[in-house]
Amino acid sequence: MRTYVLKRVLLIVPTLLGAAALVFVIMRVIPGDVALLILGGDSGQIDQRQLTAMRHNLGLDQSLLVQFGTWLWGIVRLDFGNSLWTGQPVIQELLIRLPLSLQLALFATIVSVIIAIPLGMLAAVRQDTWVDYAVRVFSIGGLAMPGFWVGILCILGLVIFFGWGPPLEFTPPWVDPWANFQMMVWPVVTVGYRFSAVTTRMTRSTVLEVLREDYIRTAWAKGLRERAVVIRHALKNAMLPVITLIGTEFAFLIGGLVVTETVFTLNGIGRFVVDAVAHRDYPVVQALVFLIAFGFVVVNLLVDLTYAWFDPRIRYR
Amino acid sequence: MTRSRSRPIRSVLVLLTLLAAGVVAAPMDVLGQETPRRGGVLLAVIGSDAPSLDPHQESTFANLQMVAPLYSTLLQLDPYSYPKVIGDVASEWKVSGDGLTYTFKIRPGIKFHDGSPLTAVDVKATYDKIVAPPEGVRSVRKIHYAAIERVDAPDAGTVVFKLKHPSASLLDNLASPWNVIYPKKYLEKDPNYFTKNVMGSGPFKLKNYTRGSTFEGVRNPDYFVKDRPYLDGYKFFISTETSVRAAAIRSGRAYIEFRDLPLSEVEAIKKQLGDKVVVQETPMIGQFGIAMQNTVKPFTDIRVRKALTLGFDRYTAGKVLYQLTGLRDVGGLMRPGTEWAIPPAELEKIPGFWRDADKSRAEAKRLLAEAGYPNGFKTVMKNRNVKLPYQDLAVYVIQEWRKIGVEVENRPLETATWFADGRDTGNFELYLQPTVEFMDEPDQFLNRYTTGASANYGRFSDPVLDDLFSRQTRTLDPAERKKLVIELQKRVLEQAYYMPGLWWTRRVVHLSKVKNYVAPPSHYTNQKLQDVWLSED
Repeated sequence: MRTYVLKRVLLIVPTLLGAAALVFVIMRVIPGDVALLILGGDSGQIDQRQLTAMRHNLGLDQSLLVQFGTWLWGIVRLDFGNSLWTGQPVIQELLIRLPLSLQLALFATIVSVIIAIPLGMLAAVRQDTWVDYAVRVFSIGGLAMPGFWVGILCILGLVIFFGWGPPLEFTPPWVDPWANFQMMVWPVVTVGYRFSAVTTRMTRSTVLEVLREDYIRTAWAKGLRERAVVIRHALKNAMLPVITLIGTEFAFLIGGLVVTETVFTLNGIGRFVVDAVAHRDYPVVQALVFLIAFGFVVVNLLVDLTYAWFDPRIRYR
Repeated sequence: MTRSRSRPIRSVLVLLTLLAAGVVAAPMDVLGQETPRRGGVLLAVIGSDAPSLDPHQESTFANLQMVAPLYSTLLQLDPYSYPKVIGDVASEWKVSGDGLTYTFKIRPGIKFHDGSPLTAVDVKATYDKIVAPPEGVRSVRKIHYAAIERVDAPDAGTVVFKLKHPSASLLDNLASPWNVIYPKKYLEKDPNYFTKNVMGSGPFKLKNYTRGSTFEGVRNPDYFVKDRPYLDGYKFFISTETSVRAAAIRSGRAYIEFRDLPLSEVEAIKKQLGDKVVVQETPMIGQFGIAMQNTVKPFTDIRVRKALTLGFDRYTAGKVLYQLTGLRDVGGLMRPGTEWAIPPAELEKIPGFWRDADKSRAEAKRLLAEAGYPNGFKTVMKNRNVKLPYQDLAVYVIQEWRKIGVEVENRPLETATWFADGRDTGNFELYLQPTVEFMDEPDQFLNRYTTGASANYGRFSDPVLDDLFSRQTRTLDPAERKKLVIELQKRVLEQAYYMPGLWWTRRVVHLSKVKNYVAPPSHYTNQKLQDVWLSED
């Protein structure tokens, strides 16, 4: 087990290096030059001498290899550089947004798990009954309706029927829990619903698969109660793919909720990435993609380690 | 000669337009029929974040609306009497008889937010940066100040602008809301300091700025205008989603949206809030049109360019697009209804502006056939991936061109690419071009049609246009200037170097408790908020 964990931790290094190199190259291949953007703006007044000076100031006149090396050396020292647009350290900009994104991802995941696992299990146990159909309609609805549309409906419904709208500014829960709740409950429900739809379907199909196994038939034959058969024998064994799904979705939610953040005016990581790409803010994009990749790798590692607890047959050698 | 510059004809025209458009509530406040209440924080929603905080280097409303309350300018446009120019830090000014020397007196006792005095030296340093920016610093409107030879500060209370040649537009351009006054000592330290920092002398001081989220100002107790501002502060919430901004006003989370909201949202807000909301609709000093790349085929051929402009029925488009986008008015290169506009009777004689759409299309097809394209041709229009009004206008124009056989692919691009792989490199065939300025000033609007101008995206060169521009900018005789300005516009339209689309309108929606805000025809001006007050929190 220890060797396995060590191997997995060491594998993080080449994975992250690959991700870093990829995003570094992509940012420089796509059209659009940050120096040109800073100087040209909306007006289109460009002066070649100023452009050269700006590229020099931003370090963009150095070779790609030197730029990449400088950046990697910064990461080693946990220095992601400064945003080309705000001039603030990237890490500082990130810390403003991280609590919101983490809270949203965490709460949406909790909501999703609370809804999805019981519903998925119920649908599997009551396959082809009205319960199953109702759960399937619910989950297909969650998959079919785009998150931004549900979000806007949510806001408009509140405004039209109650003359009330969620706050426009994020308040951390430790500052004002009630204000935080008022703002976060709607995006959490919106994201949690879509997430639960995916997880419900996965739970239903894996539980159905397990329910057809011989050891479940044996459990029934032993005269065990339905609850024991379904929860102790079926659900636990059906959870492996569900856990993988929950893990990767959680990692995705941290940086991938651009649309939801836009609709609910949440100043999270997702919008930050998109804004940074639009401004060709290389240090910010590189740092964020790197950190999101890091998040995925860590979550995947945790998911793999969780397998052993759910399925004692799995032994890491 | 000391004067507070005014243009009676324009003022009356604009006032009549505003009144006709239903601007009722705010002027009553202006006349003092309600007693201003002090206190409260004005909550506003805004559709975009500022690329940087330095207005000298930016040209988006997102920058100016947020930072204008933090700064002063040398002159300003009278918030209640557009386009009258009044002083801000300048208390009075005189212009020499030959029109080559402008002398301004600076009000004493003005302080920056750090407590240091604002003097003529700061005004000079500011204008030196605007007129001749140091390397690595951009000044996006420096072309408007090309007539300035040098700026002097003979004493702490006097600033003198020396000109190379007379300029008809200098006073108007000195009232630009973009030209905020910076303290010299900060500029000396770093001329780019203000892209990320603020140090002004305006009615409010910066309290907090969270990029992509909020921008807050708090009352400046040392503001040089007595008893102003009325508000304790202001706060912008940034949301790129139109329906979210509209919902914020409907729910009272925000009190005002300064730029524009679509008619459908405005109607929904009015229906729900009734007399708790005020809508100020004004014409807008902005036009959206199509730049044609005059250096590449088939747009090197005047017949093709003319065919495209003839193929767009502007009069019907104005009725349809107004509902969706606020684009409404048909006009030339200067805003319709102003003294600089081509009179409608003359405009309607120019190809592309005929009233008879069928006749225009028949002529467009004839010209295309004559140019060797009897079955039309295919081309691409590079466009910004912003819906309002870019995509809406593009979709409409493209279906119009299809009627004359021209197939155009609308290619929405992310803003950075739209600049870099379109406008700035000239790498386009057609390009959807916005033209928005802070006032109806020919120098601001018409420079882009001269040879080599950086905003001449279609890259055409016509010595006749260059000569007309040069003459109009130097003449101090208003009648002569008007004649030249109209002649220049006709030349551009008749040669179809550029194709104007429609002129914009602006609907400012605010709760009725927001008092004393008059929406001017530009979303760049009257943003200092010093006179705005709230009747309740």
